[in-house]
Amino acid sequence: MMQQHDDEQFEKWLQRAAQSYHSPVPTPRAAMWQRIEVERARRAARRVVELRPWLRWTLAAAAVLALGIGIGRWTAQHGTVARGGTPVASADTAGNRDVVYQVAATQYLSRTESFLTGFRADLRAGRGDTRFMGQARDLLTTTRLLLDSPVADDPRMRGLLEDLELVLVQISQLPAARNSHDTDLITQGMDQRSVLPKLRSAIPAGPVPVRTQGAT
Amino acid sequence: MDERDLINRVRAGDGIAERALYDAHVDRVYRLAYRLAGDDALAQDFTQETFIRAFERLGTFRGDSALSTWLHAITTTVVLNGLRKVKRFRQREADLEAADGVSGGPRNAEPDLKARLTRAIDALPRGYRTVFVMHDIEGYTHEEIGVALGVETGTSKAQLSRARTKLRESLADFAGEWVT
Repeated sequence: MMQQHDDEQFEKWLQRAAQSYHSPVPTPRAAMWQRIEVERARRAARRVVELRPWLRWTLAAAAVLALGIGIGRWTAQHGTVARGGTPVASADTAGNRDVVYQVAATQYLSRTESFLTGFRADLRAGRGDTRFMGQARDLLTTTRLLLDSPVADDPRMRGLLEDLELVLVQISQLPAARNSHDTDLITQGMDQRSVLPKLRSAIPAGPVPVRTQGAT
Repeated sequence: MDERDLINRVRAGDGIAERALYDAHVDRVYRLAYRLAGDDALAQDFTQETFIRAFERLGTFRGDSALSTWLHAITTTVVLNGLRKVKRFRQREADLEAADGVSGGPRNAEPDLKARLTRAIDALPRGYRTVFVMHDIEGYTHEEIGVALGVETGTSKAQLSRARTKLRESLADFAGEWVT
């Protein structure tokens, strides 16, 4: 009887005292939700690529082909013409490939800069519609292609592409009934990582050599 | 909103319903993760992984138990597996430190009761500690613990009893605290 009473006393005391064990801090709801959305989008994108490798290669091939045609047209207009009127093809295939990637990267960076600048301006003006989400998804596809290309061999470019990937995922995942907090988190993230200044400094001076359909 | 409606909307890909489900359960999931992990960064990682898995697998939720019970089963799986990995990593670090002759210095000879209690709970076998934290600290019932850990209710009760006995032995020199 005495032992049972003692046990009960101990259990009551223990339950009270143990409340201090790993006492939780307030739940960081918004921060965790944001990371959950980004991680889910990342995993979903990875699954699509893993399940459909042909899609990845088709997109890459199509992008390079389109750029190749664009460069061909551009050089046909501005390039060297051999005696007899036949255009001269360059013998430096690797050099051509690098040019294609550089052109693709430059064009992508210009489009993304225009897009993010417009996105921020619209937010400041209290606008912002669902077309941004579609554009962000388009740019996200190109971002991931470039991350897998030789362009991303440059650590600075890779860092920039990864920052842009994160921002574009966030924009593409914005809920239809978003509030200012959702968009504030995106703009704060852009500011903290100086995304726009880094993006602008990565775009070479002068006109973008090739423009394809859908460029904004 | 009714929980069944909420689940159906999440299954249909409704982002607002996903957020509503998250808001309804995140506090308890995070609390449990924090109590078991004792670290904010780890607790956040475990909470995030719990909800990512829950959204992925919600299609397999049959509704035999409450959604919260199902979520807490995922939480305990994620936390316990995660802690196992962390423990292995820390053990490797400790081994490296020992090999280098680096140590954290002597511990206090006589820590206070709170510190002693924390260390005594930390030292419990994993199963005992999990049941003790869930029941005595977070207030889960033995039925909920049984579902979450995949054990019989009787096993949960037995493990709690053994956990208390071990803690009592560890804290024997503080006996006056609870007798008075």
